[in-house]
Amino acid sequence: MDEFFQGAAAAASGLKAQAHRLRLVSENIANADTPGYRRKVTDFEAVLRGGQPTGEVAAGPVRLDPREQERIWDPASPLADETGTYLGSNVEMVIEIADAREAQRSYEANLRLFDQARQMARGLLELLRR
Amino acid sequence: MDIRSTLAAAEYGASRPATAPSAGTAGGRLADTARDFAATLEQADSLGQAALTGRADAHSLVQALAQTQLAVEAAVTVRDRVVEAYQEILRMPV
Repeated sequence: MDEFFQGAAAAASGLKAQAHRLRLVSENIANADTPGYRRKVTDFEAVLRGGQPTGEVAAGPVRLDPREQERIWDPASPLADETGTYLGSNVEMVIEIADAREAQRSYEANLRLFDQARQMARGLLELLRR
Repeated sequence: MDIRSTLAAAEYGASRPATAPSAGTAGGRLADTARDFAATLEQADSLGQAALTGRADAHSLVQALAQTQLAVEAAVTVRDRVVEAYQEILRMPV
């Protein structure tokens, strides 16, 4: 049973990490027009327990993308400086949507694996019942 | 005599000192298994309560519940087999 539990734990940690990634993507998309917004990115890291990798994944700290934000030309805006532009955000829709799609695929794969580990364990127990 | 009854008798004899809490023997292993099982159930219960009050995330809850479900199924199956073995022995004509 321990192998199945560890496999399920790894899949569950993957689910949590991908859900966190999807949340950051949705926050970025929601703030795509916020002036001065920097998109949030995060890296995944392997979970260590007592120095040994457990096979699980965890989302690392949330960082801000240091890329240049775009300058939006709108002299009528109250934020506009002397050139008539103000600082927008550095969120690019295409990148965010692609990231969201990847996160969804990874989430589905982890979900399927979690269910498969459960089914294999249950199939093994079925042998005892007969 | 059926081979299953012989094996069942041996298994029953091995599980008889299950009430003695000593590690290392077959009874000790059974007690350890029961303790792990109880700990799994307790953890799932506390996680379920935390999820109801909004403090735990859905993934931990699902993982703990799936683990509990599997542990309970395994325990029930083992219990059924041991009880069936015991009943087989009782059915032996004296």
